[in-house]
Amino acid sequence: MTEADPVVLVVDDEAQIRRFLRAGLELDGFAVQDAETGADALRWATLKPPDLVILDLGLPDMDGGEVLERLRAWSSVPLIVLSVRSNEAEKVRLLESGADDYVVKPFGMAELLARAHAAMRRQARVSTGEPVVKVGPIAIDLAARIVTNDGVRITLTPKEYRLLQILAQHAGNVVTHQYLLKEIWGGPHVHDTHYLRIFVRKLRQKIEADPTQPRILLTELGVGYRLVVPEPSNNASVN
Amino acid sequence: MDAVRRELRGVFIALVLVAATALVSFLLIRYLDVRRGSVIFLLPVLLAGWHLGLIPALVAAVAGVLWSGYFFFSPYYTYYLSRPNEILNLVLFMIVAVVVSHLANSMKRHTELARKRENEVSDLYTFSRRLAAAHSADEIYTAIEEHLASLVRRKVVLFGAATGRDGRSTPDEKAVPERVRAEVARAHSTLGTTVDDGTGNIWLVRRVSQKTADFGVIAIDLGSVPADAVADVRQRVDDVLSDATATLERLDVARALNDAKMRSETELLREALIGSVSHELRTPLASILGSATVLTQSPTIAKDERLMSLASVVRDEAERLNSDIQNLLDATRISRQQIKPRQEWIEPQDIVNSALGRRRRRLAGHNVSLDMDSNLPFVYVDPVLVEQAFVQIVDNAAKYSPAGSAITVAAKRNGHDVVLSVNDKGIGLTGEEQAQLGERFFRGARYAAVTSGSGLGLWIAKAFVGANGGKIEAMSSGADQGSTVSIHLPFATPDSQPGMGPDD
Repeated sequence: MTEADPVVLVVDDEAQIRRFLRAGLELDGFAVQDAETGADALRWATLKPPDLVILDLGLPDMDGGEVLERLRAWSSVPLIVLSVRSNEAEKVRLLESGADDYVVKPFGMAELLARAHAAMRRQARVSTGEPVVKVGPIAIDLAARIVTNDGVRITLTPKEYRLLQILAQHAGNVVTHQYLLKEIWGGPHVHDTHYLRIFVRKLRQKIEADPTQPRILLTELGVGYRLVVPEPSNNASVN
Repeated sequence: MDAVRRELRGVFIALVLVAATALVSFLLIRYLDVRRGSVIFLLPVLLAGWHLGLIPALVAAVAGVLWSGYFFFSPYYTYYLSRPNEILNLVLFMIVAVVVSHLANSMKRHTELARKRENEVSDLYTFSRRLAAAHSADEIYTAIEEHLASLVRRKVVLFGAATGRDGRSTPDEKAVPERVRAEVARAHSTLGTTVDDGTGNIWLVRRVSQKTADFGVIAIDLGSVPADAVADVRQRVDDVLSDATATLERLDVARALNDAKMRSETELLREALIGSVSHELRTPLASILGSATVLTQSPTIAKDERLMSLASVVRDEAERLNSDIQNLLDATRISRQQIKPRQEWIEPQDIVNSALGRRRRRLAGHNVSLDMDSNLPFVYVDPVLVEQAFVQIVDNAAKYSPAGSAITVAAKRNGHDVVLSVNDKGIGLTGEEQAQLGERFFRGARYAAVTSGSGLGLWIAKAFVGANGGKIEAMSSGADQGSTVSIHLPFATPDSQPGMGPDD
């Protein structure tokens, strides 16, 4: 661990979970700071602002969602929530209140790292102003508003482009239906997920090699969509 | 006092009746010259005997004799009789009147008794029909309670012996005073007694059956009544109870009540156990799986193939254990009827792709090919539930077919259905197995010994798909001929497919 290593704040009350998270994250080059409670987490977040937060929802002193909200009041630090399965509504709620992504317990380390790196890259893109997002053969130039497939320009309608643009800004992380609908069609349509289904189908026909087996624009059932960014790290192939 | 006043009122009415008859007699004699009409004075006697009771009837008889003497026996219009045979006549009239009044009175009582009996029998019949139709101990208790209340016409509270899930054993806590409840608790071992609730109200506490405490204990609020009235009500209640118990015994209600009690207790216990076990297992499992994935990624272990394969075993088995636990939880949710689909329009391929994504590692040993139509209609389902169902089907295909064999996953349109199917070249299904497939805990006997499983998977899949208005079908040409299991999801006609949003 060196001074330059990115700091991750791991918030979980289970000692065994913290233990393997620490091992996995340190192997990946993070400096790990543990917190067992919500109060601890908020204190560490102010004392030593982390580059990434991994937040479990079941904390002994307060609800994980509350920690998230209080943290988001002043910080835009990339944040991944550890959630339990079969609760899509809760996932959506947490994403809406500012979590960058979630992984479902029990989860594999690779999955968590992929989500975490994606969230950190987004943060980096915002601060450096890097305009091009690459997803496989697709390159999305957010500044020039140009999308190319293997260097060949693709023509998109303004709404198709807007959809791809939002997903690209969050590349690697899930974006909820509600967020997409609000950004593209405006408030009154936040429950009309079928608008999205139709546009996603059209968009896939333009950017996917086989639209029935998408490799770029993936569906997160019951939650939203995710633009898959190949993990640059060597560990990416091992799940 | 009430009784005396009632009698006096009866006597008064009887005298009025006799007076009215006398007036009629006077008119008969005066205008029609009827001279042998003394029998008319039997009328008020009869009426009094029927409606007013014995004493008013006797008074009416005496008054009638006097008035007949006055009107119909010479010398007329005096109470004085001249001939001895007329005295005899009057004495005979007197005897007839007394006998008639007595007969009328007792006939009246018999009729009333018969009517009451009939009502009681019909009540009891209704009651026993209700018992026979009762599905739960609660319904039985309610029936007993209402039946007794209608018979005794007092407030009746029944304390069941079986402790239901809704705490039926302590009904209307506030309605029953503390002292009465203490007595009720004791009454499970004794036959019962009366108790003063402290405010002067008397409660009668009785075990429903003299033989067994299974039927529970009743408490009846008698209000403030004197001791002899209590004895009277107790007698009536006991009569009712012995009838009711006979019916209950005949209907074998004791066993039904006990069964219901046992059932709800085992069910509760089982669900609590599954719930807590699943939770308790999942927490360490998250650590095991997480740790195993850290190991499989560590460069130190990656260098040694044997260690790497061990770490992979830990990871894969932890994942399998996790899906088994998920099955237990899902099964519990289904039995508690807690499946509430959150339906939305969804691209059918998304469901298939998501399920295959989740099972990528388990399918790695098979030769998987995909055959999906590109422009399938959208379906309106809970995508998460249907995906879980599809995962079960994929799991079965991987489990019951040899490594390296082909698995074909398809998404097709078929009439008004979208069909998601998995075809494997595995053990297939015999006709018998096909019929039983999807029953809870069913596992084919042929391979039960060599594969593990709970027999819950397809049952869960059926429930999840069924909740979305679809169905699951399994087809096979027979043992070792492979099988095709498919999810059929209805889609609406093209007109009701979702419309395009406002475009550019």
